[in-house]
Amino acid sequence: MRRHARAASIALLLATLLSGCAPRSYLVLLENTDGSTGKVIVEGSDGRRQVVERAGDGVSLAASPAPVATTPETLSSDFGPAMAALPPPPTSFLLYFETAAARLTPESRNQLPRVLAQVRSRPAPDISIIGHTDTVGSNADNEALGLVRARTVLKLLEAAGVTAREITVTSHGERNLLVPTADNTDEARNRRVEVTVR
Amino acid sequence: MNLRQTISICALCAASFGAFAQAAPIGYVKTLSGDAVIVGSSGEQAADVGSAVFAGDRIRTRANGSLGLTLKDNTMMAIGPDTEISVDEFAYAPASEQLRLGARIMRGTLQFVSGIIAKLRPEAVTISTPTATIGVRGTRFLVKVAE
Repeated sequence: MRRHARAASIALLLATLLSGCAPRSYLVLLENTDGSTGKVIVEGSDGRRQVVERAGDGVSLAASPAPVATTPETLSSDFGPAMAALPPPPTSFLLYFETAAARLTPESRNQLPRVLAQVRSRPAPDISIIGHTDTVGSNADNEALGLVRARTVLKLLEAAGVTAREITVTSHGERNLLVPTADNTDEARNRRVEVTVR
Repeated sequence: MNLRQTISICALCAASFGAFAQAAPIGYVKTLSGDAVIVGSSGEQAADVGSAVFAGDRIRTRANGSLGLTLKDNTMMAIGPDTEISVDEFAYAPASEQLRLGARIMRGTLQFVSGIIAKLRPEAVTISTPTATIGVRGTRFLVKVAE
């Protein structure tokens, strides 16, 4: 009888520890917007590590980290404002070019209004414009061509009235191929400018 | 140009532009509610939507404040009330393979959504708290740090 009572009180204590008192400092993993889940590795000052790789799982941020249970209620009361403050996720556009030229394909030219709409829909937008080439020609020529393409897109956006907090214009030349190819390969999908609107 | 030349020229660029890179913003404030300040090398300034954030800046929200920022590699950090964070190390130059994001949360709440640095070099993103270090492997999570 006494043993039963003690077991029950220990069970109650454990249940309280696991559900009732979330620790003062903790981390909870969330699902990514695409439905995938990454992972985090939490290391305490005692060197012990806890790996968290399931969405919804939590871990205390203690000197010796340990798994913790959380409820939707504690998460929304602890993190409501931080969740509401999330900025709109950055959006990227790929614009393609004619062979060896700084002229956009007609299809890509038709994409420009969508880029503009993204920029205008955002608070304090900042933009990066990165030029890329295929592997036809020398590295140095392609570096320059990528920059000419990126500047072409900048001019088109500026002509359309884009304003942003910052616009960076750079070239990756042929160093960052979308479709891996051998050297001196004419590949339309590599002749592109990537515009990211943040 | 052979590979070795490319690498050495890029290393040279990175070295000579090191000072410039530190002076460029690493991101911008995109959302703001209530009061928040950014404490940088030129002192403390009220944060606003569009405020630039530099490596080493401390961002503090008041009891009524929350704030969201997007870094140049598309990392998003959204912080709740009574929170203090800083991004002490930020290198985002994929072409020269300079990739590093080291942030700290001293107190408060943070939603973190990792960006391109975590994709290209997963071990390069860490967030430290007063009691633990978080290694980020391409993901979204919530952190609460009580004082």
